[in-house]
Amino acid sequence: MPRPGSAGDPLWYKRAVIYELPVKSFYDANGDGIGDFPGLLEKLDYIEALGVTCLWLLPFFPSPLRDDGYDISDYCNVHPSYGTLDDFRRFLDAAHERRLQVVIELVLNHTSDQHPWFQRARRAPAGSVERDYYVWSDAEDRYRDARIIFTDSERSNWTWDPVAQAYFWHRFFHHQPDLNYDNPTVLQEVLRVIDFWLDLGVDGFRLDAVPYLIEREGTRCENLPETHAVLKAVRRHVQARVPRGMLLAEANQWPADVRAYFADGDECQMAYHFPLMPRMFMGLHLEDRHPIVEIMQQTPAIPETCQWALFLRNHDELTLEMVTDEERDYMHLAYSADAQARINLGIRRRLAPLVGNNRRRIELRNSLLFSLPGTPILYYGDEIGMGDNTYLGDRNGVRTPMQWTGDRNADFSRADPARLYSPVIMDPIYGYRGINVEAQERDASSLLQWMRNLIGLRKLFPAFGSGSLEFLEPANRKILAYVLRYGPDAILCVANLSRSVQPVELSLSALVGLTPVEILGYTDFPVVSEQPYFLTLGPYGFYWFELQRRDV
Amino acid sequence: MSDAAPATADIVVGLVAHQDAENIGVVAKAARQGLDGHCAGLAGRVVLVDTGFGEDSAARAREALGDDGDVLETSTARTPADLLDLPYHGIPGKARALSAILARARELGARACVVLDAGVVSVEPQWVEWLTRPIIAHDFDLVSAYYYRHPYEGALTKGLVYPLVRALYGARLRQPAAAEFACSARLLDRLLDEDLWEREGAHAGIDLWLATAAASGDFRLAEAALGVRTGRARGEAPLGLGTTVTQVVGALFGDLGSRVERWQRVRGSVPVQQFGEPPDAAPAPGGSVDPERLIEQFRLGYRELRDLWTWVLPPRTIVDLARLIDVPVSGFRLEDELWARIVYDFALGYRLRVLARDHLLRSLVPLYLGWLASFVLQVRDLGPADVDLRVERLCAAFEAQKPYLISKWRWPERLRT
Repeated sequence: MPRPGSAGDPLWYKRAVIYELPVKSFYDANGDGIGDFPGLLEKLDYIEALGVTCLWLLPFFPSPLRDDGYDISDYCNVHPSYGTLDDFRRFLDAAHERRLQVVIELVLNHTSDQHPWFQRARRAPAGSVERDYYVWSDAEDRYRDARIIFTDSERSNWTWDPVAQAYFWHRFFHHQPDLNYDNPTVLQEVLRVIDFWLDLGVDGFRLDAVPYLIEREGTRCENLPETHAVLKAVRRHVQARVPRGMLLAEANQWPADVRAYFADGDECQMAYHFPLMPRMFMGLHLEDRHPIVEIMQQTPAIPETCQWALFLRNHDELTLEMVTDEERDYMHLAYSADAQARINLGIRRRLAPLVGNNRRRIELRNSLLFSLPGTPILYYGDEIGMGDNTYLGDRNGVRTPMQWTGDRNADFSRADPARLYSPVIMDPIYGYRGINVEAQERDASSLLQWMRNLIGLRKLFPAFGSGSLEFLEPANRKILAYVLRYGPDAILCVANLSRSVQPVELSLSALVGLTPVEILGYTDFPVVSEQPYFLTLGPYGFYWFELQRRDV
Repeated sequence: MSDAAPATADIVVGLVAHQDAENIGVVAKAARQGLDGHCAGLAGRVVLVDTGFGEDSAARAREALGDDGDVLETSTARTPADLLDLPYHGIPGKARALSAILARARELGARACVVLDAGVVSVEPQWVEWLTRPIIAHDFDLVSAYYYRHPYEGALTKGLVYPLVRALYGARLRQPAAAEFACSARLLDRLLDEDLWEREGAHAGIDLWLATAAASGDFRLAEAALGVRTGRARGEAPLGLGTTVTQVVGALFGDLGSRVERWQRVRGSVPVQQFGEPPDAAPAPGGSVDPERLIEQFRLGYRELRDLWTWVLPPRTIVDLARLIDVPVSGFRLEDELWARIVYDFALGYRLRVLARDHLLRSLVPLYLGWLASFVLQVRDLGPADVDLRVERLCAAFEAQKPYLISKWRWPERLRT
């Protein structure tokens, strides 16, 4: 029987704070060097204390692990390295007991070439239903307008299969054949997978690589109407089974194109705002609000029941697909002068190293993440300022073991260090001996404590997740200022993007008579009048003001 | 329940019984007379919940009502915890009992549900009217009993519970944990949906939580003056002050975390409307209170617990408390602002678990006794109206210091600073 969903609020995802983590990296309970579900269960108290409300788990399904689990060979099971289905059930129940929602991956676009569907397809007669689970061609000349996404490793979107004696289509790695959604049986199979996990009680799915589900000649094979039709069918199915089930679209596209994934509120409830992320970094490096304001002003309105997913960093590279060539050059010069940090079109670094381990810059970026309209996603380890290892290949350098203590293996695992799925970070700046949860829990001024407080504040004011956004335009472009409104509530956010003290005069004529109360310290500021509102902000400083009407 | 009994009711009167066979007849009669004589035109039902300790309260209630067959009985399962952890109000399993009454009231489609403690001796039939009229005639949602008390009686409520609830939720509900209350259909719907019935501490905190749930929602609150309340002892030895403080204050502090979005947005407070009748009898004089003895216990607490308090209280507060150690009894004053900040710091310490919660709460007792001594010294020569004014001043201090709590709550790094 399906469960009704663990969240009481049907729009829970709008008020959520999401924590993204790979099970393999979090905590190893059985000492084999790989994180697992029993380990994750043991660490739920930590996650609960952090204050996040939703977990997004990276793929944990059986897989040859040639793309960190995004190459799935069995959709309805748990990779033995991470535990069993019963372990997953126990974890899920424990998470729900703590009022944590759980979102898992649904890799719709492709499977592993080891998946039984593909093994069957390559041996099935051409034109059969089984063969048509995937997209085949006798030549490489179909869909030539589709770009290659993994430019560092793939030369074509077609790969020859000697068993099938045909080329198969893949938008990502050559060992990840794309499913063929022109075959209705494929969608039925996927819906069965969805039912399996919904019946276990998961609260939503992150839909991986959704723009690429359908191919049509003469197009870029992205964002096609037929793709949206598939997604709407998925939504209808989820809605009927678990009305509060949430779909989060991974569509690395411009906002105008991503808008279509919300449709009329009948497709995905959430989608990432990919172009905002690099512009938050760009704006802070330029010490100019323009990149942030510009992209937000280009962002179309979305239905009331929908929400943007915002992030600073995640398990992938800091992707620079949604920037101009000039902007990309700037970002590489600013944030990856070391070519080792570059991969594909992006930068494979965590948050703290990207900003030179500057605490104020980390705080300022998080203040933007937690106040711009959308649901923030926090990548595991960034709450303690973990570093990375760009020499580990692919994007593995940002997927190293969670640093719990200064003990062996950062207390991630009791295994011999050589057995760990990945070495822990050991450099003198970000190494686990200095950067770890235990130390930061004991330090009242640590980044971890700061993040806990910020998350708590974010949850206190619905305007952060659900409010409307209005940018102010002070003359000083180093200052980013905006007002969030939600019902009678109004919040004024002011951020200094520069490394030096900055003055600003804000025109707050629409807010005359209100008292700004600084949210972090609950301190009253002077009442807003017709005169420009003068503030001074320290380097990388920010204020959040709750605007209170005192005469009521 | 007889076949003739209606399947619906306008008013449900719920009686919560625990070893009350001797008294329940009086309460049941009052409930029936109240429904018949003071709520004309409204269909009323009596629902009895016995918390299940072997006495046949239901039979006594039927006997008292002349076996008119109009008593609905609901029993609640007893749990081992009921026997181990007696709540200050003396009714184990009270949360389950109240939940059962409200659920029955919802089933019966009641417009108002009154709850009476079957151990209350001073019950009058008019109570039913005074508690329900604000709901039926004036659209209020919660009507909480207000009893006329001797100045020293209910000191924990006067000195901590009322000021804290008022400052947090903005409602001047003077006795927010009253055993007798009434709620509207709208409120009981919400209460039944709230996640508080099985929460840790519900056995002692449920009365308070119902009030804070109502105060933190979009509900209209009122008070009904019911005169002087006397209740019968339930055969148990009275709990020590430490246990009572632990239960009551722990319930209050424990509730804060779940209503933070509400109380941090409330500024100031508003009076709640008063119903009922002014008391026609003075409350019985309370036991004599010796301020000197209280001060001595405060001083002993300071000597023994000072190091522990430094985990919770900032240096300024410790210094302020130290000044009180050598003050002569006649000049002993624990200022309202200081007391309010102490309570707020303990609330934060409770939230952050800076030490075991039970220890934390018990360590508050000497400080409370210090406040009580100060209060008694200030009000012992005052009349009731002036005592009320003194309590109002204390409440104003709690409201004025609320930003202190909020700023520390939001940024706990500032605890002990």
